[in-house]
Amino acid sequence: MKAVRQRIFGLHEDLAAVVIGLGIVLLALAVTWQARPASDAGSRERHPKGWPTPLAATVGTPGAWAEAPLDAFRDKQGNLGVGPIALGMGWMVAIVVAGAALGRRSVRACLPGAILLAGLACLAYVLSGQKVIKYYNLEYPLWALAVGLFVGNAVGVPRWLAPALAGEFLIKTGLVIFGAEVLVSRLLALGLPGLMTAWIVTPVVLVATYLFGVHVMRIPSRALCMTLSADMSVCGVSAAIATGAACRAKKEELSLAIGLSLFFTVIMMVAMPPVIRWMGLDPILGGAWIGGTIDATGAVVAAGESLGKQAGEVAATVKMIQNSMIGLIAFAVAVYWAGWVERDPAGPRGTLAGEAWRRFPRFILGFLAASLVCSWLHALGPEQALWVDGATTGFTVKLRGWLFCTGFVCMGLQTSFRELAPYLASGRPVVLYLAGQTLNLVLTLAVASLTFGWLFQKAVEP
Amino acid sequence: MTLWSDRLAALRLVAGAAIMSAVWCGLLPRLLSFAPVARHVRLMEERGVDPAAMYYTELERLPLPPPWLADRVVLWP
Repeated sequence: MKAVRQRIFGLHEDLAAVVIGLGIVLLALAVTWQARPASDAGSRERHPKGWPTPLAATVGTPGAWAEAPLDAFRDKQGNLGVGPIALGMGWMVAIVVAGAALGRRSVRACLPGAILLAGLACLAYVLSGQKVIKYYNLEYPLWALAVGLFVGNAVGVPRWLAPALAGEFLIKTGLVIFGAEVLVSRLLALGLPGLMTAWIVTPVVLVATYLFGVHVMRIPSRALCMTLSADMSVCGVSAAIATGAACRAKKEELSLAIGLSLFFTVIMMVAMPPVIRWMGLDPILGGAWIGGTIDATGAVVAAGESLGKQAGEVAATVKMIQNSMIGLIAFAVAVYWAGWVERDPAGPRGTLAGEAWRRFPRFILGFLAASLVCSWLHALGPEQALWVDGATTGFTVKLRGWLFCTGFVCMGLQTSFRELAPYLASGRPVVLYLAGQTLNLVLTLAVASLTFGWLFQKAVEP
Repeated sequence: MTLWSDRLAALRLVAGAAIMSAVWCGLLPRLLSFAPVARHVRLMEERGVDPAAMYYTELERLPLPPPWLADRVVLWP
């Protein structure tokens, strides 16, 4: 009996993240299937964001507000109600506790800390919901980090909170759940021009920026170079989280990459539309340029829409194609890290594959499994596509938001300003970001001009 | 000494909370009435755009391939 308990419990953090993450994805799919609509189940017009799922009522996040923070807790009808938000916090606490149980840590010791973490994550959501903050793309991870940094550095981490600080576990679990949103079929959404714009430029910029940081700028941390390159070339915060976890970036490196990405995203979101108009570019070409270069998805849509509806559609779709590359890129980074970067030349000799497998972050397999299963289901037909869309947009998106938000609060709590200072003082990460983004801007404009403006000329003709 | 450091921590917490309240409840709401900011927020709300979306699944409308594009794309001019 003891041996059985030993096998079941005491799971490695990665495996616990995979078990809980895949369990939540399966639960979302099962409940959404059970509640499938009786009629028009395959109609995208009827269900633009997929089938409605009953689980949507069990998780909510604070909304947008202008003057009174209490408005963040109002529903769309204007009624004050904290039910779904409290349930979202409840899910988060349950996942922290489940992680502790699977990892053979004391559940009782974790519980008070998990409740406080959920409260701090809620505060971060409220701060990010203020309309100026929200509509200028200063996303919740920034405020979660800020809240954690402030509390950790100004007040300190109380001893009773320490057992609940499982930031990496929460982010890994969030990433496994996030896998359900990374659909391979989205890669082909814009046909050849979109594929060329996203697929040629993104890997080239990613690899060139990483090599530039490591070999030319001689930044000591390869993980920082990779995380910065990925968040700048792929899709901002979500790519930074996925690749940062795949290459085991330190928490202060991930914090820095996210801060830089959000800072430059705001500038580019405001500056690119007038620059495109001033250059006299066709809006569709401009939309493709915006979609390929601005880091954050929401900021891409905001900048694209200010050029016009069609530009907004092209920008959003190009960004969605880049979004869908996260799975492949995180997998490739994890393989490269395990097989080459972390390989000890003086260590015992084994096959490359064997050594890579030993160091490979297992949670990436859960992320890929969720992505491949949901991609396969999504490709089966219109009904299955709406099933997957409903399960993700109605439930898992918000739940993984809570997990990421709380994970970043934990990271902030465990980060000292003193650890961050050397990265900021050297200024080299900022130079690397700027160098990579310049290459990204030039290359994306060249390829978008080639594909949308010349090879596929009809796309920009009325 | 412990009492002193506890008081200092409490003071920092109160000061931080006061600054946060002043910025989020005073400065930022005032910034919303600044014309360019107000215009940007209004435009985004009218078009149902959430610029804070981290991933395409968080957008108000899922981006779908624009139907008009297929008719206008050719492999060669």
